[in-house]
Amino acid sequence: MRRITVGGAVLRGAVSTALTISLMSASALAAPPVDLSKWSPEYVRSIAGTQDFDTAGDCAKVTPLDYKGRLTFWYQGVFEGDPDLLRQYYKDFFATFRKTYPNIQLEEQALTYNDLLDKFRTALLGNAAPMAVRLQILGGTEFASKGYLQPLKPEDVGYSTEDFWPGAMKAVTWDGVTYGIPTNNETMAFIWNADIFKRAGLDPNKPPATWDDVVKYSKQIHDKLGIAGYGLVARKNAGNTPYRFMPQLWAYGGGVFDEATANPTYKDIELNSAQSKAALQASYDMYVRDKSVPVSALTNQQADNQPLFLAGQLGMMISHPSDYNVMLDLQKKATGTDKDKAQTVIDNMRYGLIPTGPDGKRAVVFGGSNIHILKPEYVEGGKVDEPAAKAIICMWTSPEWSLKMAYAGSNPGNLNGFKTKWMKERLDSIKFLDVTTSMLPYGIPFPALPQSPEIMNIIVPDMLQNALTGAMTVDQAADDAAKKVKDLMGGGL
Amino acid sequence: MTIVSGKAEARRTLQSARSDVLRKMWEHRADYAYVLPAIAVMLIVIAYPIYYTIELSFFNTPPGLQLRDKIFVGLNNYTAILTSGVFWQVTFNTLIWTVASTFFSFVLGFAAALALHRDFIGRGVLRAILIIPWVISAVAASYIWKWIYHSDFGIIGAVLVELGWAERPPNFIDSVSTVLPSLIVVNIWREFPFAMIMMTAGLQTVPEPLLRAAKVDGANAWQRFWHVTFPHLRNVSTVTILLLAVANFNSFIIPWIMTGGGPSNASHIWITHIYELAFGRQRWGVASAYSVLLFIILMTLGYFYVRALSGNERKDGGA
Repeated sequence: MRRITVGGAVLRGAVSTALTISLMSASALAAPPVDLSKWSPEYVRSIAGTQDFDTAGDCAKVTPLDYKGRLTFWYQGVFEGDPDLLRQYYKDFFATFRKTYPNIQLEEQALTYNDLLDKFRTALLGNAAPMAVRLQILGGTEFASKGYLQPLKPEDVGYSTEDFWPGAMKAVTWDGVTYGIPTNNETMAFIWNADIFKRAGLDPNKPPATWDDVVKYSKQIHDKLGIAGYGLVARKNAGNTPYRFMPQLWAYGGGVFDEATANPTYKDIELNSAQSKAALQASYDMYVRDKSVPVSALTNQQADNQPLFLAGQLGMMISHPSDYNVMLDLQKKATGTDKDKAQTVIDNMRYGLIPTGPDGKRAVVFGGSNIHILKPEYVEGGKVDEPAAKAIICMWTSPEWSLKMAYAGSNPGNLNGFKTKWMKERLDSIKFLDVTTSMLPYGIPFPALPQSPEIMNIIVPDMLQNALTGAMTVDQAADDAAKKVKDLMGGGL
Repeated sequence: MTIVSGKAEARRTLQSARSDVLRKMWEHRADYAYVLPAIAVMLIVIAYPIYYTIELSFFNTPPGLQLRDKIFVGLNNYTAILTSGVFWQVTFNTLIWTVASTFFSFVLGFAAALALHRDFIGRGVLRAILIIPWVISAVAASYIWKWIYHSDFGIIGAVLVELGWAERPPNFIDSVSTVLPSLIVVNIWREFPFAMIMMTAGLQTVPEPLLRAAKVDGANAWQRFWHVTFPHLRNVSTVTILLLAVANFNSFIIPWIMTGGGPSNASHIWITHIYELAFGRQRWGVASAYSVLLFIILMTLGYFYVRALSGNERKDGGA
């Protein structure tokens, strides 16, 4: 079986060129530990396993290993859509931390992506926040701008700013000050079922090149086979929705602001531009006109698409490389003929680059998480044990653990993670990993604004739902969303 | 002269009344001491939040500012709410949700209570089965119903398609026109056992001799129900309906878990909307203004509830 059906010299050449241009344009390229200008799947393979790191030794320089203290820590943890492999690494991390720092009393709490922001905001209102928190990339600027977070940069825990992706550092910077350290960064890829493609009369080895093709392919799959073509997700208050719709919006040349440009200013609202409306129209065409996507898209998350895909009832979707492992986990739980059917789907699972817009523009959300330390006045008891907080941050953002904690679904926030032996092991065991890492240069961070969570989790999904339910026309839904963003940015009620 | 003596008389009466009240309070000082902790707790966990919510309702809380940096905007939040289209949509949804859920829960619960009031084999088992929806976790029930309703592979849709009664699975919760009725069905399923229990208890208070006398007088089943049973259940019915109405006004779990208020706000009711405004959008001021309005409505309902209860007590005392 071919590992990457979209592979080939032309594609790799294009990816490498795009990567080089994109990464070279980043300002913070002082001395990264890996040569970003050479970035390609081959280069990543060539550096994997070339360097050893002593995590405990490095962190001992930040916080002595016999340090005695207490730490409260909340983090965005694994959820139902994650593979078992990742669950094990989370368990291993906390066990290792306790072993490395036996005198630090750690009180950790895992929360899901969709619950973390609400709970954290509430805790802050009552000055009952944890001492340290790992938040989704979207949340950092909101809390930094409000003054809840302490300045924190990689140098504070023994690393260098250049050890991290420049785009990720932008997401933890507010008003010129760095307030956190990226733990992991990822971009998703396009997944399709080659068998479904074949049965629908499509080339099984060729994913849709453009988003217009996605619309066509989705219709063809639905019309020929009576199943859903593309796994649209449009649920409100769910991170999955912007992660799947924004790449489409950007590819068509749209955006919420100018976040897809090299130097965004976030001044002009673009949600109701002709390009943004074209992207919304594409979703409308799939959901309303062609009825070629799951009807349940308005209440679905990606975790709902996974069983649909595994059951051979969904042709295409956007997700992490970890979805392959999730499929394997789900297949193990299947019984009887379902097990064989699931295996057929897994054998026919293909990963490729996310399609482009009409002008050849390719985009994906530059996702990930960051870790932060709170100011004492917002923490329960009014005290922050900084050495203890720095100990866990040093460990999580180390080359070793930033890779292990992102083993199946993401990439290490610390670029040195790509050099570890675990990266080598990962490249051999996590299928399609090089496709998702190839998407990294196309990654666009969400606007680094305190209003971003509301825009991405509420306004954008609302726009989709208003258009897809027929509550508004496509034009009205886009105009309504643009007005909401304008009101929000103007500090309106 | 007359005026002066009248005033003095009034003053004496007032003083006497005051000393009488003080004397009575002193006599019951131990009782006050017993309830003091409860009152203190109530002041902390109820009175202060109410005060703070009312205060917050006069402030704007933009997402880029901490709550302590809130901006005073007077009645702007109330004006914004009352002039917003979403408010009226959400209010309409809330009324439909509350009235329909309360009415059908009560009717179904009453019918079930009447059916189970008769003595038949398996009555206890049936009663236990019917109580299940009320005792299981609302969160678990919401997830189960979400899957039952699922627009692509829900069990209802699968059965209908399998039987050839539908070409595609019906769209229950992904359509603006069907989502609210679908959620109301789940809510009724959850709540009717409560009405059943209340009405069962009420039915047990209907005097058997009266029913027998009516039967001897030639009254048929319907006449016995309407002229004897039902009047005895008036107060318990009022209390049940009010409790259901208050619970439905305050509903959160079912709509939030099943649809998050969507699609396109079609299943947002007041509480889910307030939650989204406060915790999702950090519009604490607007959310507080919504809460104040809801508080007024619920207090009005609460007044009628207390009156209904007092009516019961007076009646019981009179008997």
